Amino acid sequence: MESVKQEVEIKINDVSVTFKDNKGNNVPALNHVNLDIKKGEFISLLGPSGCGKTTLLRTIADLLDPTDGSVRISGLTPKEVRMQQKFGIVFQSPVLFEWRTVKENIELPLEIMYWNKKERSERANQMLELVGLKEFANHYPGQLSGGMQQRVGIARAFGIRPEILLMDEPFSALDEFTKEKLHEDLLRIWAKTNKTVIFVTHNIAESVFLSDRVCVLSPHPGRLSAVVDIDLPRPRTLEMRDTPHFNELVAKVRNSFEGGSL
Amino acid sequence: MRKKRKSLWRRVNENTYIQATSGLLLPMAFGVILFALWQTEVLHKIFHTDTFTLPVPTRILSVIVDNPDKVIQNVVATVTVAVIGLVIGSVIGYLVAIIATLFPRWGGGGLSIVAACNAIPIVALAPVMTNWTKDVSKDANIRSMVAKTLVVMIICIASMSVNAYRGLTELKPFSLDLMKSYNAKRRTVFFKLRIPNSVPYIFTALRVSIPASVITAVVSEYFAEYVIGVGRQIRENIVLAQYTAAWGYITVASLIGIVMYVILMIAERILLRRR
Repeated sequence: MESVKQEVEIKINDVSVTFKDNKGNNVPALNHVNLDIKKGEFISLLGPSGCGKTTLLRTIADLLDPTDGSVRISGLTPKEVRMQQKFGIVFQSPVLFEWRTVKENIELPLEIMYWNKKERSERANQMLELVGLKEFANHYPGQLSGGMQQRVGIARAFGIRPEILLMDEPFSALDEFTKEKLHEDLLRIWAKTNKTVIFVTHNIAESVFLSDRVCVLSPHPGRLSAVVDIDLPRPRTLEMRDTPHFNELVAKVRNSFEGGSL
Repeated sequence: MRKKRKSLWRRVNENTYIQATSGLLLPMAFGVILFALWQTEVLHKIFHTDTFTLPVPTRILSVIVDNPDKVIQNVVATVTVAVIGLVIGSVIGYLVAIIATLFPRWGGGGLSIVAACNAIPIVALAPVMTNWTKDVSKDANIRSMVAKTLVVMIICIASMSVNAYRGLTELKPFSLDLMKSYNAKRRTVFFKLRIPNSVPYIFTALRVSIPASVITAVVSEYFAEYVIGVGRQIRENIVLAQYTAAWGYITVASLIGIVMYVILMIAERILLRRR
């Protein structure tokens, strides 16, 4: 397992992104970011708003072109990887289609990939079981709570067995109890599939609890200021959050923001 | 004493059954009172009018009931114009919205021109259409039908295209990113995202178009060559000072509008029940 994780999958090479504001001025969002992400790794992009963490994620997903530098995924460009439908993305909001049932929402990407009906249904049932929403298969998104909706979003993303799972603050709108439950669910599903996960968050404890490595980004302009290894054993349990080592790691991450405390 | 009255007030307010029925009963009670004042000619005293200009409800009703064939013939003519114009106009309007979505560069601007058509008064449009269609058929009835239907169509195109365009373009945040991440084709995005997203907006358009189509049909009948339709009967009877018959057709015109609206509401309940 460890040997697999040594293999570099995503190479972020000197990536810069500059936006233009209303007045036509250049606003740097990301400044010369270099990062190697290993295959099967759970990595967090952590930082306050404006640090460019979502911008970096969108660049990897080919939803945004870098102004400078390049991203390579197993030697391919993000666009080539997107064309091969190897990305699974979970956004800040669940982005479920309200005219489709929970099951039909999970089947959406499979439909787009021309799976036949039987295979789609089998995979969707599998995913529903995995996220514990089997009895809600025929409900509509409007009938579910926010936490359940986000779980459907996760099931949809894992359903296509993506090589790389990109998560953009997926739990930021949820309450603390739901969030903890989903953290456990996510780690359990990830352990079964062992895909590379890139997880964007502004929550320090969340990033430490979930990740193998935490990439700390600082704002103005957005840049990578530190990468902290999280050596907590797996599988992770909620009790680990109360250990001194966990708190040390949280402190270590917090202190790696440039400009000191936030 | 005061305390007791307050508690009764509160009880009424908190009783969901009373609250639900009062929403229906109060407007009905208002209607019943209005009709009672009308029937007993109190209304006539208030407006300083007589039963010749404003006949009492029972007289109006009896005129409708006594001439079923004539009423039905005119209702069929009006409903045909309104429904055909509504259907064709809405379909064209939706297609216009799709075209505007496909060509976003000038789509939005082009639509505001279409929407401006809605500002043209029916009374101005109807004679133009009557003139334009004078060669389509040798039968004056068919000629007039075409002219009236065209006016209804124009009104419906405008409201459908503007609303449907919103439905096709105002998507949930990230939904386009989601589709892009699956490498979905443009056509797939249309059929799986844009079109289903526009369904509630179609109903919004129809809520406006249905009453508008009835009014447009009624008004364009005034200017049509061939004398038929509920609207035309209102005019003919007013010209002849047959106010009872005129009020009869006014009642029928309102009923057409109400019935069509209720049909829409039922269809919407069924089709959008899951959302």
